[in-house]
Amino acid sequence: MATREELSEFLAGVERRAFKQAMFAVRDESHALDIVQDAMMKIAEKYGDRPAAELPLIFTRILQNATHDYFRRTKVRSTWVTLFSALGSDDDPDADPLETLEAAGDTRAESSEAAYSREQIVALIEEEVAKLPARQREAFLLRYWEDYDTAETAVAMGCSEGSVKTHCSRATHALAKALKERGISL
Amino acid sequence: MTEDEFGFRIRQALNEGAERLDYKTTLRLEKARMGALARQRHAGPTTVRLPALQVATAGGPAETGDRRWLLGAAWVTPMLALTIGFVAIGQWQKELEITRLAALDFAVLLDNGPLETYADRGFGVLLQAERPTAR
Repeated sequence: MATREELSEFLAGVERRAFKQAMFAVRDESHALDIVQDAMMKIAEKYGDRPAAELPLIFTRILQNATHDYFRRTKVRSTWVTLFSALGSDDDPDADPLETLEAAGDTRAESSEAAYSREQIVALIEEEVAKLPARQREAFLLRYWEDYDTAETAVAMGCSEGSVKTHCSRATHALAKALKERGISL
Repeated sequence: MTEDEFGFRIRQALNEGAERLDYKTTLRLEKARMGALARQRHAGPTTVRLPALQVATAGGPAETGDRRWLLGAAWVTPMLALTIGFVAIGQWQKELEITRLAALDFAVLLDNGPLETYADRGFGVLLQAERPTAR
């Protein structure tokens, strides 16, 4: 069973990355903080008696579910708004909101690589990571940021290891291409 | 550059970004963490609530069968008691009625009956009807 100190240490170590991951997904600081807060509450309330070693995977799953719940709520809300606003919209009500994230990103003017400081490069990388399709981004971040192996990533995402490899490969290529187009070489 | 190398460099950049969170955000994350820790679930002795009937039979053999039998008995016993009660009350009322009629008959035989008895038309009819058989 995780002690209070172990849980505190775990949450302190993971909260920034969790916030960033939520930000990549929802692109709103307030909502991202809400999602992380909900995830923290849930893991403490429902899984606080689990061994400390199990916490990372559980938290990852909770965070993903909280993010997906946010999109579901947003989708329902937007559906009602669309119904009552009587404004024409091209949105498909049956579309998965996670799949539309890529197109929702803003497009900043490109600049040459020499003009960017390290901080700006990091911001651009984050921006491009946020533009990845949701499943690709999840797989990439779990695999390369959370340092999960393929099997753990598959468990966390609820898919096969083959799917994880495919998502990671596509994310890597898409990210490399986008960064190259923006003049960033790693 | 391999996929792993690329992933590692992206990871470094993302870590840098995560470390540069503003004060307001880190403060709110810290508050969220404290709030969560205050509500941490602890594995303690589990309290199991059992129905009273199950407690009474705890430790007995074939709990499921016993419990079913007791549940049946719990219904049948009060019904049985109620039926017996109704029968007893009925019997008691019958005894009272017989006693009352016997006292009345006895009083009539001793001419100690109330005057209203002789004034009652029904009683006169009864006496007329019983006279031939008395002979």
